[in-house]
Amino acid sequence: MAVPKKRSKRFEVLEQRPVNLDGLVSEWPEEGLIAMENPFDPKPSIRIAAGKVVELDGKPREQFDVVEQFIADYAIDTASAEQSMTMDSREIACRWVDFNVPREEVIQIFRGLTPGKILDVLSHMNVLEMMMAMTKMRSRKVPGNQAHATNLRDNPVLLAADSAEAAFRGFMEIETTVGISRYAPFNALSILVGSQTGRGGVLTQDALEESVELALGMRGLTAYAETVSVYGTEKVFVDGDDTPWSKAFLASAYASRGIKIRYTSGTGSEVQMGYAESKSMLYLETRCVMVTRGAGVQGLQNGSISCIGVPGAVPSGIRAVLAENLISVTLDLEVASGNDQTFSHSDIRRTARMLMQMIPGTDLIFSGFGGVPNYDNMFAGSNFDIEDMDDYLVLQRDLKLEGGVRPVSEGDVVAIRNKAARALQAVFAELGFPPISDDEVEAATFAHGSKDVPERRVTDDLKAAQDLMKRGITGLDVVKALAKRGFDDIARNILGMLKLRISGDYLQTAAWVDADFRVWSAVNDPNDYHGPGTGYRLSEERWKLLKEIPQAKRPELIGE
Amino acid sequence: MSLNPEMIEKIVLQVLQEMGGPKPSAPAASKETAGPGAMVLEEIGEARPGTRSDEVVVGLSPVFGIKFHKNITGIPLSAILREILAGIEEEGIHARVIRVKHTSDLAFVAHRAAKLSGSGVAIGIQSRGTTVIHQKDLAPLNNLELFPQAPLLDLPTYRAIGRNAAKYAKGEATNPVPVRNDQMARPKFQAIAAVIHIKETKGVVPGAPPVELRVKLEK
Amino acid sequence: MKELDIDKIVREVIRQIGEGTPPQAKSETAYASAAKSADRLDPKKDYPLAEKRPELLHTATGKRMEDVTLEAVMAGKVEPLDVRITPETLRMQAEIAEGVGRKQLGFNLRRAAELSAVPDERLLEMYNALRPHRSTKLELLAMAEELETKYKAKICSAFVQEAAEVYERRGLLRSE
Repeated sequence: MAVPKKRSKRFEVLEQRPVNLDGLVSEWPEEGLIAMENPFDPKPSIRIAAGKVVELDGKPREQFDVVEQFIADYAIDTASAEQSMTMDSREIACRWVDFNVPREEVIQIFRGLTPGKILDVLSHMNVLEMMMAMTKMRSRKVPGNQAHATNLRDNPVLLAADSAEAAFRGFMEIETTVGISRYAPFNALSILVGSQTGRGGVLTQDALEESVELALGMRGLTAYAETVSVYGTEKVFVDGDDTPWSKAFLASAYASRGIKIRYTSGTGSEVQMGYAESKSMLYLETRCVMVTRGAGVQGLQNGSISCIGVPGAVPSGIRAVLAENLISVTLDLEVASGNDQTFSHSDIRRTARMLMQMIPGTDLIFSGFGGVPNYDNMFAGSNFDIEDMDDYLVLQRDLKLEGGVRPVSEGDVVAIRNKAARALQAVFAELGFPPISDDEVEAATFAHGSKDVPERRVTDDLKAAQDLMKRGITGLDVVKALAKRGFDDIARNILGMLKLRISGDYLQTAAWVDADFRVWSAVNDPNDYHGPGTGYRLSEERWKLLKEIPQAKRPELIGE
Repeated sequence: MSLNPEMIEKIVLQVLQEMGGPKPSAPAASKETAGPGAMVLEEIGEARPGTRSDEVVVGLSPVFGIKFHKNITGIPLSAILREILAGIEEEGIHARVIRVKHTSDLAFVAHRAAKLSGSGVAIGIQSRGTTVIHQKDLAPLNNLELFPQAPLLDLPTYRAIGRNAAKYAKGEATNPVPVRNDQMARPKFQAIAAVIHIKETKGVVPGAPPVELRVKLEK
Repeated sequence: MKELDIDKIVREVIRQIGEGTPPQAKSETAYASAAKSADRLDPKKDYPLAEKRPELLHTATGKRMEDVTLEAVMAGKVEPLDVRITPETLRMQAEIAEGVGRKQLGFNLRRAAELSAVPDERLLEMYNALRPHRSTKLELLAMAEELETKYKAKICSAFVQEAAEVYERRGLLRSE
């Protein structure tokens, strides 16, 4: 840290680089401020007696905390555990990476592994090998993407316009959250109307306190839930106001209403909350993945998520983040792989971090990509936001990769935003909520962010949002309101979203819904990658769409 | 708030120094001696449920003003507490300060304080500066207003938080304090915040009841 | 606008009617037995159910998927119960999950099938009661009893009993 009296001009230049604004810290293994390969991590072990796990990673059953007991009783396959655990860790790593070994065989091995063993296997792997394994282990064939739609003022008109645009650009899912909790019902309503204007079938969610989120889902105002958090230590789980049992019950409660759900976890949350029990971030995250599997939840959002600043600050942290995504898919879960939070001032770092998921492809590469400028992102900013959209589209084109979005024209986007804003205006009028003026519609149509739209009377909106809950308004009322005002196509789409619950098809692993309301999941579109030329490849049609970006000049016209 | 790199380096250095430093013992009263605006927080017994409906309780985290005297961006905790109390009193509401010892988790610090508040409204605040306005009938992880990004909170904002809590206590319709958002606070501060929180958590006394504090703020 | 109340009433009526079956509840039983007598669902052939086996699907009032149209909604013929999943459908999805080796997901869907009988508000209360430090052991055991007797939710009942034991051992019950 010693700086010489006379400064080097070169070092002064380097000092000014964005990367040096990042708050990097050294490891502190005793407190769990270490990404992986912590000497204090429990050593892998398992003992099974009478079909029950009686020892897990060196700890006897009597001492299990709630997390350990849940994993032992629900997540580990006792029939195969002893055999899997005796396999050499490097040998498991080789099979994980080797595309000649079928996905199912690897899934079977991992059913019997403890967190300690999984970490030991990962210690043999570099990020390239992990990406190879991800390509094979992802459960669904086609990769996808998710967008955030939020704004600083919880402005409903802007939310509708932004989610319409995000849906139109190709995102499979749209997630919102609130600046002010009491706005929640309006945010859910706005992105529902917006998304179904942009493209029918896009799944929406509103990230809130668990029981509020469930209440909105029951009304049919959201289609899925994602921010149902699980943690790797008992203390942090309880501080998060849950246990594996309450969270598993909640998962079943969602499913009982036909609502899709995935859990959320991520490296760094336990150390962030002060109770990492001297275990590495990845060890604890591995337990979260196993809790998710044990609860029978189809998928997990991980990749550090809101704690990315913590693994992002320590050595090998971004490698650990990829590793947690990989563990999720290998335990046969859908993965929404993070990239959803600002993590660096450096464009180089944030791109490199994102490529770990974009290159192999995941179920949702971002969870999500900022569909709004970061100043409006109420998840405190995403790794990529809407201002990075053209860069991302060019990256897809450079690498001939599926990134889950497509190039669009300004005219189309303006039209779709306008329609969504008008549709919400109609719904508000029909349901007796504070009116949306034509000026507000116009502003939201052409806006980049909340700075470009007029302020609403927040107290009136908040009162009406509570009223929505009290009056028992459901998705069906929204359908009726839209149809009464002539928005039949959007009404049909929202009805389509509600009807997903009749079949429950989208409750299967890694499900998404296309514009014809057909469900695609790991069941009917399984990943069949087994080497070059297999698995997901861009179709000619899709590639044509992705490479035709408006900025590219046509040679035949140059100089003419 | 914009922070220059030197300031950040100072904070990092301070945190890193403390990481290797001796473990603190928790005294019954903590006195901030350095410079103007010093603060004495004297424990005067177990905190009791309030009887007056015109009060807001301010719940401090376990080592607020004991181990830490500045928030994550270097604002003195004494100045922060002064602004919060002034904001509450400005609205004609009585303020009572307690220390929650059994948890360092902000939601639970505030929720415990809310349960002890005669009005049911409380403010919770951690050493790193993260703050929430809570109400006793809400689920612990819900809130009236949450200010999760401590690096963005300046003194006028802390005063506004005090004012708003008082308004909730009076049952008035209240415009939330404008939410500030800096997407780059995370990469700059999150790992450092984690280190501060680890240290705060080391000060947790499991099962210990909250204590009433007599606050002396020197001008 | 009190649709939740309507919802509750319809559910209550269906539950209480028992033998004297109205047309809608009759079809519910018919579909349930159709699903039961059919061979185990084959994930490859039968999924997605909406596309491959629509004849197995019905709403909680016995409507077919094709009956839930915008026109029907506007004519007031569709209630919230019509866009709610049924326990029979959840069990079919559990079968499909198990058919592709996802044992835990199948188990979750079977718990869900049981919970579909619990009204919204009670379900939210039950979840909250399972959160840490919310309930005494007796309260949890009473809830398990309620699940078993009132809602025939055997798996969930056992799950809550298990939670009560674990919470007791780990000090996560409510202390007065």
